[in-house]
Amino acid sequence: MMSFIPPRLRKPAGIALAGAVFAAAWLVRGGPLWWVSIPAVILAAVRAVSWYRMGGEDTDEGALAGSRADERQQLVSLKSRALACNLAAVAAFIGLTIAVAVKAAWWWPFLVILAVTGFGYLLGLSSYGSGEPDADEDADAGQPARSAIQR
Amino acid sequence: MRNRVREQRTQRGLSQAELAAALGVSRQTVISIESGRYLPSLPLAFTIARFFDLTVDKMFDPDDEEAGT
Repeated sequence: MMSFIPPRLRKPAGIALAGAVFAAAWLVRGGPLWWVSIPAVILAAVRAVSWYRMGGEDTDEGALAGSRADERQQLVSLKSRALACNLAAVAAFIGLTIAVAVKAAWWWPFLVILAVTGFGYLLGLSSYGSGEPDADEDADAGQPARSAIQR
Repeated sequence: MRNRVREQRTQRGLSQAELAAALGVSRQTVISIESGRYLPSLPLAFTIARFFDLTVDKMFDPDDEEAGT
């Protein structure tokens, strides 16, 4: 989808775009806090530039920031994101438990986060799992399991 | 799982960066494979073995459980 953007620019462009959207949301919101959009844009720009600079470094983090990670670096990123998602789910569960205990009205955002992480996990299982074997490829279908000695 | 990447690389007088460039991976990944901290995927294992004109089982010894991920 982003193949027309040079690899090193992809993540900084994503950060800049996210910052611009967030700033636009503050502008649309209006009111006395409209000015928050200005530091939001500045912060996004600074962050995008720092990611671009990091993308030039000869490190795992640099390779990930520069969108040129090899298989090991992609695995490192995958494990890190899985850990982040686990932590988010645990934090959401703790928040939900506390909110319920104190009868707070802000319990539902924690439930949304839990539902999204749970749904994401199920989506991952259905997307990346091997699934059922094709009938043509499943040579042992319908046959009782045999030990290696019996064969 | 012990491997012979470092041995083969030094025999050919290659630096880790040169081997990484030849294999299309990062220098850090070559370091991780040599130290046994990372087991490469099957395609990468074949690429490494072919680069050194060896078979995969000559390059990677599954009987040696010294290190690995």
